This record gives sequence, structure tokens and C-alpha cells, in this order.
Amino acid sequence: MDHSTHQLSFWRKYVFSTDHKTIGAQYTITGLTMAMVGGFLAYVFRYNLAFPGDSIPLFGHLLPQQYNSFVTCHGMIMVFWVAMPILLAGFGNFLIPIMIGTDDMAFPILNMMSFWIFFLSAIVLLASFFVPGGAFGGGWTMYPPLSTNGYVDRDPNFLKALFSGASMMILAVALEFVAMLMGGINFVVTTINKRAKGMTPFRIPLVIWFINIATVIFMFSVGPLVAGAFMLLFDIVLGTGFYDPARGGDPILFQHLFWFFGHPEVYVLLLPSLGVLGEIIPVFSRKPLFAYKKIVYLAILSAVLSVVVWAHHQFVAGIDPRMATFFSIGTIIISIPFAGIFLSFIATLWGGSIKPTLPMMWALGFIGLFLIGGMTGLFLGSNTFDIYAHDTYFVVAHFHYTLFPDIFFGFFAAFYFWFPKFTGKQLKEGIGKLHFWLTFIFFNSTFFLLFFNGLTGQHRRIFNYSMFSNVNREPYITFEKIATISAICLILSQLLFVYNFISSLRSGKKAVKNPWNSATLEWTADSVPPHGNFHTYPEVYRGPYEYSLPNSSSDFIPQDVPNEIA
Amino acid sequence: MSIFPENVSTYGQEIDHLFFLIAVFVIIALVISVFALVYPIIRYNHKRSPRATYFTGEKKSHFRWITAALFLLAMSDFVILLAEHGAWDQIEIDPPSNALHFGVTGRQWNWIYTYPGPDGKLGTSDDVVVDSLNSELHVPVNTNIAVDLKATDVLHSLYLVNARLKQDCIPGRTNMRWFNITKEGRYDLACAEICGMYHSRMRNFIVVESKEKYEQYIKDLYAKNAPK
Repeated sequence: MDHSTHQLSFWRKYVFSTDHKTIGAQYTITGLTMAMVGGFLAYVFRYNLAFPGDSIPLFGHLLPQQYNSFVTCHGMIMVFWVAMPILLAGFGNFLIPIMIGTDDMAFPILNMMSFWIFFLSAIVLLASFFVPGGAFGGGWTMYPPLSTNGYVDRDPNFLKALFSGASMMILAVALEFVAMLMGGINFVVTTINKRAKGMTPFRIPLVIWFINIATVIFMFSVGPLVAGAFMLLFDIVLGTGFYDPARGGDPILFQHLFWFFGHPEVYVLLLPSLGVLGEIIPVFSRKPLFAYKKIVYLAILSAVLSVVVWAHHQFVAGIDPRMATFFSIGTIIISIPFAGIFLSFIATLWGGSIKPTLPMMWALGFIGLFLIGGMTGLFLGSNTFDIYAHDTYFVVAHFHYTLFPDIFFGFFAAFYFWFPKFTGKQLKEGIGKLHFWLTFIFFNSTFFLLFFNGLTGQHRRIFNYSMFSNVNREPYITFEKIATISAICLILSQLLFVYNFISSLRSGKKAVKNPWNSATLEWTADSVPPHGNFHTYPEVYRGPYEYSLPNSSSDFIPQDVPNEIA
Repeated sequence: MSIFPENVSTYGQEIDHLFFLIAVFVIIALVISVFALVYPIIRYNHKRSPRATYFTGEKKSHFRWITAALFLLAMSDFVILLAEHGAWDQIEIDPPSNALHFGVTGRQWNWIYTYPGPDGKLGTSDDVVVDSLNSELHVPVNTNIAVDLKATDVLHSLYLVNARLKQDCIPGRTNMRWFNITKEGRYDLACAEICGMYHSRMRNFIVVESKEKYEQYIKDLYAKNAPK
């Protein structure tokens, strides 16, 4: 049980580690590093949009080709190399074993391989910036024929085609999926088989439920995309014609395969963060999570619905208009289970005893911003309005209002909540609050005005808008400038986080075992949990959210306290 | 000032109105949910409410608040679906039978127009193809125009912002869409699907003119291009 007596070499302890916490940290730090790359790309193209033609500080002049590459890679990196490693792999690795009360993952070596394959995938993606022609620039969706032959003419030389921006991006994504599948199978097997004694399904903390549901959606939907991506790779490298209409292929096929994965993917990214809210809100409201079981059922329902909404990304792609009606109905209906989950979180607050601590501020900020992101989805789910709004900044603002809170507010909430547990140090509150407010304000000033740019019909992925009469007028030019300046401030505000992280690690106050008086199992382990997590396997006697129980002296009862003592 | 650019097509109004209809639902829902979120943060702050009330929300009597809200949401969804259904059928499913057909083909990075020629029918020997950089698409005003959309190389998307029309052009397929512009003028005609390096320059104009002027334009065009 207690593995800390082993003497591990530096390499086995910090680099090729099989400890779930180290692997979680590796995933998180790689994800944050990639977020800096993605943020820098965003800075460059946002600067170009506000001040077209100007030389960009720290970069220089931007060419149309580079602009396309940067927009594409910003999306790719933020979804597959920031959100996936931090939310799914990072949270999953850090939290699953310790919250279900076990020593490690079911397959620790597979877990280690999963990270190193992921690391390789990041290297392949970054390397694609330096091949002739640069990184792929045809949109993160990689629609053929632009990705197969329209972008740069397909090189008949096998090696040159293999080392083109497009095929390297596909390879990187494929490696990333291999890594996430290895991690995913580990998550599910660990949760099913390694739970502490007494940890029945409805005593599992919500975040563990949600990570597992997300993993299952991911594993279910990724197969068609992997097939689609390999056909794409064959079209580029071997000259096959799966997507070439001249040889009997069909470019729309890829769109279906892509979005069959691509839409469930947004729920793969959303659920782990929502699970984190489900842990944080009860702790700082001192109340049980409202309708915990029903939330689990609603999440399973939304997971099922998530695979029948994909073609809403293709309303104007020339799919059969009658089919679009079906997907429009599905899309609008999926708002119902998610509304149920969010309303239950809000209901948890009512009648509570709310402490606005840092993790709670991020959690509440997440809900507030996501309300805007989710509800603007109703406009886009309507297929008729989507004819107009499709591929405009309305879509861009909408998905940033969903994904930014999801990825960053979700991550920061989790980070500030579990930092004391996994590092043994307390974070500094004051600078943390400043970081929250600056991020909250600059995020809104970056993206809110872009809804209006979208409504005036500003379409996406354009290098220079000056030739479009609907966009090249006031107030939309000013909105672009405000968005860019805010985006720069938003990125700079994150330096506060880096500073807080490093300085708290070095000189933060020592954290106690259970600083938040939380009832779940991870808080019964030492801060920092040793390799193996617990000294003895914990046993579970109750659900994860026993706060403010009537007739109880303490305002919370940890999961591992036997009934007679409580 | 309107939040939309000028609308000049027959069905553009319906799309704009649909936006305001959904906006009403969204704003009501936002106001209620922001209140439900912010009020307890203030009212149940740990200073005012030192001890929380224990309830799990698993009982039906507790959950009925959520059920009621979800029911209202489902009803609004239903109203939105009903409201948009008519417009969708009109725009996407039933193009008018009397429409004048044009061909529009996307190619990196320009638009190619095929005019029906003096006989007003596409696919006959008097069709005229205009394939030159910065050419404009001339169409008559107050006429149902159907466009056969094609692409020769990669995906493109015909985007007429003032007519509220957007439709992808797919290599190997023909997508047909229609519109009817009610005001003469010169409007943007853009590509809305990324199509490579000069995607942003793939912008032409659609010139909407009176029927007489349009017929004269076609006659001149045919005379210029007719086989000698």
C-alpha cells in the first residue's frame, strides 16, 4: 500500500513515472505550456485583425498564409493539446485513484506510455510549423479537398507529402487520440474495479462520474474520426481518392466523420469541468449537491443525445434540408439536460452558507459565463438562423463563451481547490483574487462585442476585412480593436497565475490535511499524498456530500467515517 | 441603428425576425438564471447564513422547481422550432418553380458565373460563361433567382450578406439555392468557407438591376461572347 519506502531514481520518479499524480502533473504542465503557444498565436492574429498591415511586436509582418496557419493551429492546440490533457487526462489522473480511495491506476505503465505518446504528439504538431510550406492552414476541421490537394499541390514524392503541414497535423492528432484512448481505458477500468470498499456507484463523487462519462463518449465517437483521418492521410500521402469526387470520393463524407466525433467532443471537454463544479459548490455552500443522482442521469442522457446532433455543423454544407430539421430538433433538445445540470448547481447555493473562496469564485464565474455561451447556442441550433450566422463571429463568440469558461475557469477552479492537497502549500489569496477579476473582465471585453460583429455578418478566417462593406465601418472596427487590446490584457493577466503558482510553491504557507473541510476521500490522505496515496485502504460509509446534516455536531461527515462514530 | 446589415431579400426579414424571437426567450431566461445565481450568493453568504439548511434535492417536492424550469425551456424550444420551421421550408426545401437559373462556380480564388443567355434557360447552347477576375454577377431585381452552386477545386461558400444567403459549394455536387432581391444596388458577394491562401480576397459583387437593364446586359454579353 505505502509505496514511499521504494527508492526511485530521478528518472523513474519525475520523468518516466508510473504514479498517477506525477502523470497528472505532466499532462497539466504540458497542457499549460501548449496554452502559451496557442495564446501567442491568438495574440498574433488578433493584432493583425485590429491593426491590419502593421508590424506585430515580438513577431513582425504576418502573411495571409501564416494567418491561416495560426488561426488553424490556435483551434487545434486549444482543443486537443490544452483542453484534452488538462481537463480529461489531467483531472482524470489526479483525481480518479485518490477520490475512489485506491493507490494508483489499474494499468500504471499504460498510463505512463499514454503521457509519453501525448508528449510526442505535441512535438509532431509543433514541428509542423517548420516544414516547407509551414503548418496546415485550412481550418482546424481539416476539411478536404483543401487538406488533401487544394492547399499546396499534393507532392507525388512520398516523403515530401508525409512531411507536409497537413499530414503532420493528422499524425499528431492520431497520436494524441492513441494517448487519450490508453488513458481513457485506464480511467474506466480503474473506476470500475479499484473503488474502495463501500464506494457504491452512488457514493462516487460527481467529478469521477463525469470524467468517466466523458471518457466513454470519447471512446465511442473517436473511431469514425480515426478512420476518417487515416483516409485523409492516405489521400495526401498515397494519392488515394476517398474524398476526391473526380475519382468517386466525396468531401462531405469527411465532414460527417469529423463532426460525429467533433460534437460529442465538446461534451467530453465540458463534463470534467462540470464535475469539478459539482465538487466545489457543495463544499463552499456547506450543503449536499442538489439532486446528485438526477444530475448523473441527466449527464448520461446528454451523452446519449450528444451523438445525434453532429450535422448542425453542416446546415449550409448541402446536406438534405429535411435531415437538417432532425438535427436542429436534437440540438435544441440537448439544451434541456444541460440546463437541468446547471440549475441543480444553482439550486445547491440556495439555503447554503456560502464562502466566496477562490475556487468558489472561479466556479461561480464559470456558471455565469457559460449561461451566455449556452444560451447563444439556441440561436445557432435553429437551422434557419444558422444560414445567416454560420461561419461568422457570432459562432466564434459563442464557442469561446462556452470553451473558455470550461477550459480555463474549470481548470483554475480545480487548481485553486486541489493545489493544497497535491503540493502541500496554500496559494496566496490576494493575488489569486486579482487574477480572477482581471481574467473575468478581460475575457468579457474580448468576446462580448464580437457577438455584434457576428450579427453584422463578419465571416471567419479572413486576413483583412477592409474590403467588406458590412464590417469595414463603425462601430465594428472599434469593436475589433477593443477585442484585440482586451485579448492582450487577458493573456498578460495570466502572468499573475504563473507568479502565484511559483511563489506559492516556494514560499506558500504549509497546507493542512483538509483545509476546506471537504468530505471526499482525497482529503483524508496526507498533503502531499505519498506514492500509493493512503497509509491504509480507506473504507466508505456514505455519499460524498454529507454537509450540514441535522443533529450532527460537525457540519460535515467525511466519507470514511463509520456510522457509529458519526 | 440596426444590428444587422441592410436586408434586401424577400426572406431575409424572416431570418432577422427569428433572431429577435429567440432573443426574447434568451433574455428572459438569462435574467431569471442570473438572478437565481446572484441572489443566493448575497443572501446566503456565510456571514448572514452561518448554518446551511440540509436538503438533498432527491425528493420530488424539491426537484419540481427544476422540472418546472426545464418544462418552460422545452416549451420555448418548441415555439422556436415551430417559428423557424416555416422559414426553413421556404428557403431550403421549396425553391419557386418559376425561378431564373444561374450557375455560380467557386475556384481558388475567384467566382465563375454562368448566365442563362437570352433564352432565359440554363443548360442551353446560348449560355454565357464569365470567368475573369473581379467580374460581377448581374441579376434582375424582384425576380426569383436560383443558383446552381459548384466548385472545381476545394470547398467554397457563396455568401450574400444582404440577402441573408449562405450555401457551401462542394466539388462533385450541385447545390441549388434561391433568393429574390427587392432593391437595386451593388452588394457584397463573398466566400465564407476557408479555401486557401487568398480566401479573404475571394470577394465580388452582385449587381441587382431593373429587368430592362439586365436584359440589355445579357444581350451585350451574348453578342460579345457568341460564336462567330
